[in-house]
Amino acid sequence: MSMEKNGSMKLQGRDLMNIGIYAAIYFVIVFAIAMMGYIPVMMPLLCVFVPVIGGIPFMLFLTKVKKFGMIWIMSIIMGIMMLLTGMAHYALIVGLFTGLIAEFVYKSGNYKSQSKAVLTSGIFSMWVWGNFLPLFIDRQNYWSSRQSFGEEYITTLNSLMPSWLCPILLIVAFASGIAGGLLGKALLKKHFRKAGIA
Amino acid sequence: MKTEIVSSTKDRKGIGLDPRTKILLLLMIAVFVLGGAGGSALVWARVLLACVPVGLLFASGRVRTCVIFVSVFVAGCFLQYFLLNKLNGFLNFIVLASAGMLTQFLPGLVMGYYAVSTTTVSEFVAAMERMHVPDQVTIPLSVMFRFFPTVGEEAGNIRDAMSMRGIFFSGKHPGKTLEYCLIPLMTCSVKIGEELSAAALTRGLGAPVKRTNICKIGFGVWDISFFVICAAILAYWIVTMEGNVQI
Repeated sequence: MSMEKNGSMKLQGRDLMNIGIYAAIYFVIVFAIAMMGYIPVMMPLLCVFVPVIGGIPFMLFLTKVKKFGMIWIMSIIMGIMMLLTGMAHYALIVGLFTGLIAEFVYKSGNYKSQSKAVLTSGIFSMWVWGNFLPLFIDRQNYWSSRQSFGEEYITTLNSLMPSWLCPILLIVAFASGIAGGLLGKALLKKHFRKAGIA
Repeated sequence: MKTEIVSSTKDRKGIGLDPRTKILLLLMIAVFVLGGAGGSALVWARVLLACVPVGLLFASGRVRTCVIFVSVFVAGCFLQYFLLNKLNGFLNFIVLASAGMLTQFLPGLVMGYYAVSTTTVSEFVAAMERMHVPDQVTIPLSVMFRFFPTVGEEAGNIRDAMSMRGIFFSGKHPGKTLEYCLIPLMTCSVKIGEELSAAALTRGLGAPVKRTNICKIGFGVWDISFFVICAAILAYWIVTMEGNVQI
């Protein structure tokens, strides 16, 4: 689809609607993957799967981003959705910063550089890390409300998530975001361009 | 998939809550029931909040959904309290984890279902405008809620089509699932989204004038009583915190 060139750099109705559409696709995919967190082993691995798979719709989204603010709004909306689905407010706070940084990175490539797009995907993906923060910041409190999951779930997850994992998960989220970006880029080339939507 | 989510027709049976009240209740349930804020001191609040969507669904005439919700929820609680420490090993783990998730997630899901199925897009936009939320957030959010059922519907269709070719969403070949389920899903969602945005633009969304709205929203007796309940829970939470750093 060709984007009509209008001189204004302000976000128009069409841009805002594009954010909504891609946010919906992204969120549905992320939510489906996050369901795997029920299996404790998968919990830390969500930091890998969410950015990698989410990278595909995100790279597609980036092809529509031509104005400042779209990535940031997307990031904020993901934070709001996490708040509404009970993942606490940490993802929103993290997303406020990572979304803005991602925005500046993609802007520095004039909204078309492919390598910058992959890097943007990596930085944007770091919001996922915010969902793990309550587990590291306030472990006692986190589990006191989740006693019903059963002692075994808790001990398994605790042994899987030692405190030193916290910064590593951030790096993992970033690296997986890059991988997701590369995957998305390859798929864009293989499928979406053929279908005429990228 | 229910297509009535964010219905465009007016359906004001029972308690017609203001969209802002629904958002507040959704947040309260997300924080206390799903997020488990406040720990064991606030169990009563959690029970109370879990009952809210039941009452609302019942009042709005969605009795069937209401009955299903209550029975599943009770089954989850039953499993938790009677099987806790009675099973061991892997079975215990599976049963408790799923029952725990069920009781924790269900109220939020049902409240979310109630909120989106009884709020029209116009009402949502009007409420967001009253709260002075900028258009940059309101428009994407309303498009998003409008779009969820579409994505779900398309996912169902693609699942049907692909199962004929022996490719399943939860199959053994994640690569195939990715390429033959996820990609078509994205492609057709984007196509539908483009049509949707063309339709909305034709109707003047994004025009450089201030939008007017004929929706009458406002707070009634029910809204005020829900606000009082929420305020009480929050006050109790703050009092019982006593230096525990939680936020």
